Amino acid sequence: MYASNDKELNLLDKSSLEFAKKELAPGREENDHFPFGPFFGHVVDKAFELDFFHIFLPEDLGGVGHGIRALCIVLNNICRKDSSLGGIMFTNAFAQSLMLEAGATEVLKQISDKAGSAGEFLIACPVLSDPARSPMGLSADRDGENYKLSGKINYVVLGGMAGHALLPASMPGEEGYSWFLVDLSDPAVVKSDVVFSHGMHACPAVDIELKGVLADLVGSAGEGNLYFRKAASVMQVAAAAMAAGVMKGSLEEALGYCRQRRQGGRMIKDWSEQQMLLSNMAVQTEVAQMLVSRACMAIAAKDKDWETRAGAAALHVVSSAADVVSDGIQSMGGVGYMKDFGQEKRFRDTGHIQALLGFLPLKKLDFIRKLL
Amino acid sequence: MVSRKQIKTYLQKEPKFDDIMCSLRATGSQPKGIIGETKKVVAIARRFNEEFTSSYAYELDRKMHQDPDHLAWDVVKKANEWGFYTMFMPKMFGGKGYSISAMGPFREEIGSGCIAIANLIGVHYLGFVGLASSWNMRLIDMICREVVNGEKTGNPCLMSFAMTEPDAGTDSQNVEFMDTGSLACHAKKVPGGYVVNGTKIFISCGHLSTWHILFAYTDLQKASENMVILAVKTGTKGFSFGKKEKKMGQKASIASELVFKDCFVPDDLVLLDRSQIEGFSRSPRDITELILANIWAASRVGVASFGTGVARGAFEQALEFASKTEVDGKLLVNHEWCQCMLAEMYRNVAVGRMAYNEGNYANGMDGAFKLLNLKPIYYLSKYTPVSVFDRIMKPLCGLSFTTWISRKIAFDFMGDAEIDRTDGWGSLAKFTATDMGLKNSRMAMEIMGESGVRHEQKAEKILRDSKLLQIYEGTNQINMVNVFKRLVARACPGSRCFSEDNI
Repeated sequence: MYASNDKELNLLDKSSLEFAKKELAPGREENDHFPFGPFFGHVVDKAFELDFFHIFLPEDLGGVGHGIRALCIVLNNICRKDSSLGGIMFTNAFAQSLMLEAGATEVLKQISDKAGSAGEFLIACPVLSDPARSPMGLSADRDGENYKLSGKINYVVLGGMAGHALLPASMPGEEGYSWFLVDLSDPAVVKSDVVFSHGMHACPAVDIELKGVLADLVGSAGEGNLYFRKAASVMQVAAAAMAAGVMKGSLEEALGYCRQRRQGGRMIKDWSEQQMLLSNMAVQTEVAQMLVSRACMAIAAKDKDWETRAGAAALHVVSSAADVVSDGIQSMGGVGYMKDFGQEKRFRDTGHIQALLGFLPLKKLDFIRKLL
Repeated sequence: MVSRKQIKTYLQKEPKFDDIMCSLRATGSQPKGIIGETKKVVAIARRFNEEFTSSYAYELDRKMHQDPDHLAWDVVKKANEWGFYTMFMPKMFGGKGYSISAMGPFREEIGSGCIAIANLIGVHYLGFVGLASSWNMRLIDMICREVVNGEKTGNPCLMSFAMTEPDAGTDSQNVEFMDTGSLACHAKKVPGGYVVNGTKIFISCGHLSTWHILFAYTDLQKASENMVILAVKTGTKGFSFGKKEKKMGQKASIASELVFKDCFVPDDLVLLDRSQIEGFSRSPRDITELILANIWAASRVGVASFGTGVARGAFEQALEFASKTEVDGKLLVNHEWCQCMLAEMYRNVAVGRMAYNEGNYANGMDGAFKLLNLKPIYYLSKYTPVSVFDRIMKPLCGLSFTTWISRKIAFDFMGDAEIDRTDGWGSLAKFTATDMGLKNSRMAMEIMGESGVRHEQKAEKILRDSKLLQIYEGTNQINMVNVFKRLVARACPGSRCFSEDNI
């Protein structure tokens, strides 16, 4: 990611990369053993103390107010080493973003003011799905001034550790769906064990069953899809920043290995087919970094057609990441497939990043349908 | 139009007819009985998947996540009960004698359920291929009969294939790299046998195997001319198991480190060494190359059938999901884009299958198992009772003449064109089918979205498992170079492969 000449962003760039190298890289394999090993709570707490979860939140709501560009820079650096923490940051930032779109600033401020720990501050959300596409699992019934939520919802990221969850639900007789904020400490919230997943093991998700849980409506009733689309149009670039970070990490690890390893009596970096593999990785990685940087600038400046540009950039980066991380393993042969290195984790994590904000093919169709 | 002589001449032009029409040639030359055998083993594999793999594979994978040191003895014992470890061993060695040509479809079936379980069965046959490639009939007979006995007694006796070393993956697989590479497993000739020092890594099912077909070298500077193949039994003094690798996928098929420290292997367990390959028309280096080519021709077709299995497993999971899941108010399977993705996945499976079958046909007609597929020998073997084989073959296998004549046929009578064809098709099938496997696994994840990342939905395991197929038995890049070497290079005078010219 390119922080350009902005001193503040440069500082954030350096500090987040330093954090990733010191706090994430050394414990990557151990942290990835969750849920069969301990959760890396101390690292999450440290990220909270360093305001990594506050980056996207406006200053008047207790955040840092750096916006999408800063968020992408930090996500990019974090994901170079371990995207589980990136997943936690993304989920929280998406929930915040959606609530901002819905005008739920007061609630966000309250959460921010009260939170003394990461758990209290973080907001869980089912960020791997686009609620409008699938049958709604939750329904909301009006109870005087309040709403009560019932039903089941799958794969609520951070649902097992956050204080609140932002959940979609339909209301009887109403078109569309709405978003609700739920206090996850409510005894009527039944959480499953942590879902055992493909990657991002330390960015845990749970399935949740609600049995008449009191919930606050976020924004206006029936406008859930509108808020989701608005938040997603920006946050898809944050997902791309994560993918670009994973690609960069994969390339760095592959280059480091190829500079040391010999086969056939030669350094493997000297074999031209190996160079071709690395070249394809490097080209895709550099393009990804540039696209995310440019998309961030377009969003920040509200350029004409920024949504189209950001959407195209995000789809390209997220799609191309799968090839790069696969080649990242390939370039290291059998070693790349083992947990001793970071390549296999990047391969798995990329599967999650692709699924952020819904099915990848549907995101592509959404993109073109806007142009048709 | 054309004379007989002209036909021969034209068909020898590139691409050679025999190289590109393996299946057509097989139609007439292969015994028809193979079709029935293939149907039978496919049905057996489907039943095994239905009764065992489908319900256990994901539980086992989760168990391996929890405890990477777990050894899947339960699977090995189950496969042993089903007779899988002797299924494709020739009857002359006490096996069930199903045609080796039927093994590909069998592996595809098991692999479509779980590649790790398929490997727990299939890797034993890689060990068998290593063993058989020595043509040491006495030891082949002895070890195979231990496997048969293990089946009878319920104590599985598996073989591992120990070639890869910590600093020598590709170096150990290609004769061109053996002398300049970093091979380090040294076998020193001493009175009465060899003393081995070195380490082997990534040895599939090492910890679960009784016999280890070990590749070592008496001269590490000229390894290509001094390869020694040894049979080492678990428990041999100086041989121990090292760590188990922590892999991304195929977890139940453990990847072992084998450590040899002053390990003495007696002469009667030497499968092949330089002294045994003197006097053949091919040089020691050429025989090493031939042995490796025969091994890879068979084993890479095997990996290709795994790749096809994984592609099919991914397709089946995606299809099941799309048939049950509603998106935008209708079943996913009724979205045109999804139908096209599923059709592409179906195509990928078919392409993988065609590729491994073509390699299979090449091996059956021109490869190391050519003799077994000759119609008279095939039918004689098929309809002769094991008891008769035992009476005739057991004593014959003990004769040094039997080993000599077998090697004479294998090492001297196999033509260069046949080596090129079988080894080339092994590589072509391997990288084609395993690429299809990874492609389909990724497509399944795309179709399944959030559900795809959940372990219990199975697609994510298939994706993890599929990636390894592009790496072992030579990375797909190495296999591409091998296809050029074996099937393309001869049409380009001056071209060289696996050499410094390629840097």
